[in-house]
This record gives sequence, C-alpha cells and structure tokens, in this order.
Amino acid sequence: MNQAENVLEMRAVSKLYGSRPVLDRLDLAISTGGIVGLLGKNGAGKTTLLRCALGLAKPQHGTVTILGEPAWNLSASAKELIGYVPQTPQLYHWMRVQHIIDYTGSFYRRWNAQLARDLVADWKIPPDQRAGTLSVGEAQKLAIVLALAHEPDFLLLDEPVASLDPAARREFLKVVLEIAAGGSRSVLFSTHITSDLERVANHVAILQNGQISFFGELGELKDQIKRLRLISTNTFPERFELPGILRQRIEGNQALVTTRTITPELLDKIETSWHATVEIQDLNLEEIFLELHDDE
Amino acid sequence: MAADFLFQVFPNSGLPIYRQLLDQVRRHVVSGRVSEGDFLPSVRQVALELEVNPMTVSKAYSLLERDGVVEHVRGQGMRIAPRPKPSENGSLRERQERLLPLVEQVAAEAYQLHLSSAQVKVLIDRVFKELDGK
Repeated sequence: MNQAENVLEMRAVSKLYGSRPVLDRLDLAISTGGIVGLLGKNGAGKTTLLRCALGLAKPQHGTVTILGEPAWNLSASAKELIGYVPQTPQLYHWMRVQHIIDYTGSFYRRWNAQLARDLVADWKIPPDQRAGTLSVGEAQKLAIVLALAHEPDFLLLDEPVASLDPAARREFLKVVLEIAAGGSRSVLFSTHITSDLERVANHVAILQNGQISFFGELGELKDQIKRLRLISTNTFPERFELPGILRQRIEGNQALVTTRTITPELLDKIETSWHATVEIQDLNLEEIFLELHDDE
Repeated sequence: MAADFLFQVFPNSGLPIYRQLLDQVRRHVVSGRVSEGDFLPSVRQVALELEVNPMTVSKAYSLLERDGVVEHVRGQGMRIAPRPKPSENGSLRERQERLLPLVEQVAAEAYQLHLSSAQVKVLIDRVFKELDGK
C-alpha cells in the first residue's frame, strides 16, 4: 500500500436505520500513521461509522475506501491488514483462551504468537479458562489481543476501554502508542472517555448530528476553542452577536462566552465595544465537548 | 551530552500538551538548568515515558527548532542552540517591539494589583539578578 495514501476515506456517507439518518452525508479522511480519536455522545453513531468503515454495514449513499479498497468489497489481503475490536467482543464461549488465540492465529499469515503470549501474561488473562467464564474486562482484553497479534496496519477499536479499570486502560493505551510510534500504522478508536483521548490521540474527530463537526489536531482544538470571562463597568446586552460564539451566559456586567476561534480582532472588538476586561480561559477536551453539545 | 530532562505533562489540562512541553524547555533554558549544547531526549523516549502521542512531542520540538531554541543535529537529535547574538535578533527597536505584548500584560496585571512601575521594576531587577547568577 502506498504510504502517502489515506487509510480511510469516507465521502458523503449516509446510513439510515428506517428513516432515521445516523450518518448524514459524512466526510472523513484519515491519513496513514497516527492515532485518531472518534468522539461522540452515546447514540451519535460512532459504532455505525466504524462498521461502515469496515464494510460490516452498507451505507445507502456515499463511498467508503479503506486501505485503498472499497470497504464493501474488501480482499482477503486487505482484511489481513486490519484489526478490529467491537464494542461487545464475539468470542467462542466454549473455547479456552489459548485455543481461541491459536485458532485465530491460524487465519493470518502474519501472526506474532510471542506478542499474543506477552500480552496475555501482562494483562493476566487466564490462558486455560473458557472464554464464556471470563469477566467482561478480561473478555475485552482478549479481544484486543486477538486484534493486535497479527500486527495490523490499521486498527479500529470501538469503545475499547469502556470496561477496563484505570490501570488496564493505561496499559492498553501504552500498547496503542507503541503501535503508532513507528509512524506507519494507524489507529482509529471511538470513545466517550475524553481523558484517554487527550493523552494518546494526535487527531480528534467529533461526530455530531451524523457529521464530523470537527476534525483536526487535538492541540489545535484546544488552541482554538476558548472561554472568555468578561467584566465591564457597563451592563452587557442580552446577547452578543459575534461570529463563532458557541455558548454565552450573560449576567449584568459579567459574561462567559465560549468561542470557536479566538482572534485579536475579536478581543479588540469586545474590549472597545463594551469597555470590558477579558480573561481567556483554556478548556480541556471534556469541557470543549460539553460546550459543543450545549445546544442539543 | 544529554540534559537531565524531567518533562511533566497534564493531558487533561486546557493547555495543549505540545505547549506544555514548549514552555518547560523554554523555562529550563531561561533558568539555566540546561545550557547550550545539551541534547533533549528523543521524541520516542519522551513519548513512551510520558505515555503521550509521539506526534505531539515532535510538534513541540519542531516549534522549538523554528524559534531557534534548539537545533537539529543529524543523527543525534535536538540540541539547545546558542542564544542568538543581539545583532542576529534584530535592531534594539525590533527586539523591544517583540517584548511589548508581554510588558503590556504585566502592566495590566500590575495595575489591577495597584503596583506602580517602580514597584514592578524591583521584581524585574530581582529576576534578572537570578538569571545572571546562573
């Protein structure tokens, strides 16, 4: 595969369940190398997006290309380069952990048995236990091992850490970082736990109303979206009519305004129009996420 | 010579991680804790140690390089660059202009705190003295 190519390209993708559009002419392009966090509220369509990306669900409109191939018609050799951990892992409950690993490995030409053994040991998954008797967290860890051991070029994870405890989550994030450290492999993972994303993701995609409302560097997002605390000697109007305002709360001569982009012009305008002093507050990802979803 | 660098980041802060790294290197340079010729740890090393994305670290490093704080040495990594000579940094006026926004900020804060320009100067002199002592 051409390294400069996008690992995933979704163009004008619409996916409807009944008459309800979950994805609504969605565009998303993910380039090779790096970790992209897909962020969205419960029910925003994160799972649907990942399933469409993998060719497990067929959108009614638009095109999906993964590793240079149409998602709905993936060749076996492309599938071999993809790793996927679904939200609810499907494991053969009657098989023992080690047997599932050996069985899964037999499907892949590139299977790193040593890596699988190391992860099982590190994550303390009992190798002789039947999958059906594993705890939710252990089952999720096993699913992650199965998705990692063939050393995929593109790893897609659907809420991979939802049922892991904080220690296991950090372990998992470390593995994801090691995968991406080489620069040639890509990871896309959905989550609603913003703190995990803040640590490891270099890009964030925010899924909102069936579309990607923000895609870019995480640092850029934090640089752009700011909350302004305004205090004036005069009383503020009831509403500020300024471009890029996401949310505003005004109380007499005090105001809190969240803005999508902060420019010196905007600050000048506020200072001169309302004789206000401006304090710029940084927002972390969770706060940004909440501010972006305030109108819903 | 590799500098003893102990980066610390708070991923859940509103300040992007790359900015936190930038600030720490700058502070280390200004305070004299690292000096010209010291090497920064590699991107990979920092990323794995802090458990953050390598691209974030590399963004911080390239911005430091752009600003002339560090220089890239082929095969060896990032080295703290010599402080540019006054002439390379522009005329006196240009250099003053560059500092102006920070001074304005200091003046505004001082005004809020009812500190006079002379009282602020005492602080500035103290900080300068500490720097020269290093």
